[in-house]
This record gives sequence, C-alpha cells and structure tokens, in this order.
Amino acid sequence: MVMADSRIIIVENLVKRFGELTVLDNISFNVNRAENLVVFGRSGQGKSVLLKCIIGLMTPDEGNIFINGQNIRNLSIHELNKLRKNIGFLFQSSALYDSMTVKENLAFPLKRHFPEMTEKEIEEKVKYTLELVSLEEAIDKMPSELSGGMRKRIGLARSIITDPQIMLYDEPTTGLDPITTKEISDLILTLQKRLNMTSIVVTHDLICAEIIADRAIFLKDGKIAYEGSIQEFTNSSDPFLKNFFSHEFIKV
Amino acid sequence: MKLPRLKYGRRLRTSDYIYNFFASITGLTIFNLEFFKQVLIPPYEISEIKKHMDELGVKTFGIVSITGLIIGLVLAMQSQPVMQRFGASDFLPGMVALSVVRELGPVITALIFAGRVSSGIGAELGSMRVTEQIDAMEVSAVNPFKFLVVTRVIATTMILPLLTIYVIVIAIFGGFIAIVITESMSFQYYIDSVIRSIEFGDFIPGVAKTFVFGYIVGIVGSYKGFTAEGGTEGVGRASTTSVVLSSLLILIFDMILVKISLWLWPTLG
Repeated sequence: MVMADSRIIIVENLVKRFGELTVLDNISFNVNRAENLVVFGRSGQGKSVLLKCIIGLMTPDEGNIFINGQNIRNLSIHELNKLRKNIGFLFQSSALYDSMTVKENLAFPLKRHFPEMTEKEIEEKVKYTLELVSLEEAIDKMPSELSGGMRKRIGLARSIITDPQIMLYDEPTTGLDPITTKEISDLILTLQKRLNMTSIVVTHDLICAEIIADRAIFLKDGKIAYEGSIQEFTNSSDPFLKNFFSHEFIKV
Repeated sequence: MKLPRLKYGRRLRTSDYIYNFFASITGLTIFNLEFFKQVLIPPYEISEIKKHMDELGVKTFGIVSITGLIIGLVLAMQSQPVMQRFGASDFLPGMVALSVVRELGPVITALIFAGRVSSGIGAELGSMRVTEQIDAMEVSAVNPFKFLVVTRVIATTMILPLLTIYVIVIAIFGGFIAIVITESMSFQYYIDSVIRSIEFGDFIPGVAKTFVFGYIVGIVGSYKGFTAEGGTEGVGRASTTSVVLSSLLILIFDMILVKISLWLWPTLG
C-alpha cells in the first residue's frame, strides 16, 4: 500500500489473541502527521498490547500495521530495526537499564542506531537531551537513585534521543502525583511541538489526556467503542463514559 | 524463537505439571539451538563478554578460594588415619591430588559457581524481563538474546575452567596444611609426590568437563531469567529454579562425561 496522504500510522483490522482470550478484536484506526492520539481504556483492555504490536514487539494474529507506508508485518528484522530508529517508545515502567548510569542509558540507543557517531558527539547529544527534560544534573546517577518522576523524564529523554518522528507512550503518567503528571504531560506536549512528532499515548489519566490529546479513542472489550475529542468524551451522556470519567475526576 | 509458555497462577493439576515439565525441556532445547545459531552471527559483543568475565571472576574469587582450601584440608584430614592404618601414608599427597583433579575440584567448583552465578543471572535477566528492559533493548535495535544471553554464556563457559584450575591448586595446598599439622613432611616432598601421581590424562578430562558445566550454568540461568513472567514472584522463581536445575544438570553431565572420558582414556580406570 503506497500512501501520499498524511496518515503516518494505519492500523487495519488488527486482531491479537492470548490463548482463547481475544485482547484486540478487529481494531482499525489512523494517526495523522504531527497528531497526538490518546488511547483510553480500562486496565487489561489491550492498550499496551496495541503499542507493542505497532513497534513489532508482539506479532498480531490478523490484520496489518502500516508505518510511513511500510507494512511492518512484511519487514525483516533488519528493516524493522531501521524503521524503529524513527520510533520512540516510552515504557510504562520507564524500563531504564538498572546496571547502567543515566548517561549510558541515553547513549545506548544512539550507539546502536548510529554506530558512526563519535564518543564526543554522543556525549553532546546526551547532555542536550538531558537539558530538554531539565535533568542535566542526573547524568552520572544510577536509575535506582532517581525518583519516579525523574525516571519517567529520563525514560522520555532516552526515547527521544534518536529524534524519532513517531512516539509511542505507554501510560506516561501512571503512579505519579497530579503535579508531576501535569509537568510530564506539558513536557510531552512541548517536545512534541518542538520536534514535530506524531504520537500515540496510551493512558487512563484524564489530566494527561486533556493536555496532550488532539483526538482520542476508547478501547472496550477489544474493540474501539468510542472515538472523538476529549471534550466529547467528558461531556458524553453515555453511562459507561460518564462513569469512567467521573471516577477520573474524583481521583484527580 | 517461540518458546512454550508454562502454566502458573491457579491451582495446578497433575496434567499441568507434566505439561510444564515437557514445555521446560522443549523450551531449553530451543534456547540451546538459538544460542548456537546466534553465537556464530556478528556482532560478537566482545566488550560485553569481557565485562561479564571480569564481574564473574570478582564475584566468585573469594568463595571458591575458601571452598578450595576446605576441600583439600578435609580430604587430607579424613583420609590420613585410614591411610596410616594401612601403612600407606606416603600415598596421601597423591590421593588428595588425584581426587581433587579428577572429581572434587571440577564438580564442587561448578556447584558453588552454579549457586552464586546461575541464580544471579536468573534474577538479573528475570527482573529485566518483568520491568520491560529486554523489550527496551529490542526497540533500540539490539538483539537481546545476543547481548544478554550469548555474552553471559560465553563468559561462564570460559571462566569456570580457570576457576577450577585455581581451586585445584588451592585444594592441593590445603591438603599439605592438613598433613603437616600431624606429620612431618617437607613441602618439596609433598609437591614431588603430587606431580608424580598426576598424569596428563587425569588433568585434561577433569578440566575439560568444566567447560560443559560453565555452559550449563550460563544457559540455564539465562533461560530461566529470559522466560520469567509474573512480576517479582516470577523473578524469585527464575532465580531459585536456575540453581536447582543447573546443579542437577551438572551432576548428570558429570556422570556422562566421566563415562566418556573413561572410554576415551581407558588407562584412567
């Protein structure tokens, strides 16, 4: 499929099963260039699985995923790795390498994706990226010395260090207090505007979604149950959405 | 590489245990084949291998030193009265050396190494798996199997024979200490007796089998850690089962390798 349109990510009829359980059941959606799509859903509704299918960490049982016109299901591991250079992934747990310092954590994807870079260039890029997330002082720290919010920031820095066009965020604000949640969400939005990135943000945090989202979809029972803007979701008279978002308000 | 999933969680039935047993064997076999495939393909990650060898050496040096000394001391102390009763005290240094070189040195070092290293690899890779660090590596265009597993298995395979040679030397020295406490024997005489009693054919199979033991420790720890699931409980399980399985496999392979070495070098018997 060749595309000349603005759709950067196209998910077509995606199905993912674990044994007898169908987690994603015939999901289709698009994400346009420089758009932030928020994916809502209760826990265990396959939101993280969706992101892992998009980046090729999990293989879908049926359906296709196109990124920049390339069907990732037809790519060799070499081609997939080349594509991944353009995709940043912020893991739910930040997934910082425990045995490496912050500097080594950030240098890791650079060394792997850009073997031609010199040590000096890598160090400069690491420092610059740490400045973007306002954590220059953490450069020599180990991940165990960082707070939850700092770990998210470093995780974010590591995922944007290769200047990706596409960002995938897996619950970027889970486990953070409302103020830090707002800070991280603002930071994501700023970076997104600055680097002109296209992103998918999986979350069930309304503060985060309100700041970031251009558009949102809601996963329920493996299908896209609702699609629209955050305003439409929060003002909806649908009993399920009302219940979901009223609870979010109370939590906030 | 698609490994079979084990059954956990709800109360397991007998059929689940049987399923898990065969799934483990199948999984470990696929994991071994993957290792031999990956080990030949570049990049070879030499700096990671060196780093792991350094770490393993530092981590186990102290404990194997003590173990080696105690093996030699206890062996000599236990055997001394028996040998004296039969008037064979002169053979004591040779007996200590032969036991240590052929069997006790390699096997006990391997078991200690399994306890210290296999559990560590199981826990480390297990926690990397459950905290998505292995996924993060894959996203960074790194083959995690090569970077995490192949490098560790090569390191354990290379370092265990070196540690075993060291333990053998220390144990022989331990034997000397035990003997001179009760008898007068010069160090020169002791060493001469040791060298006279050991042949090349004793030394080679003893040390050669530790390459296999080192491989077992690395591959089992990596397999259990790499396939860990179920949060922190899964990490604990990976660590414990690594030690149990690698120790058991070391003993089973010891038996097989002794049989093979006797077949290759019939004079050993």
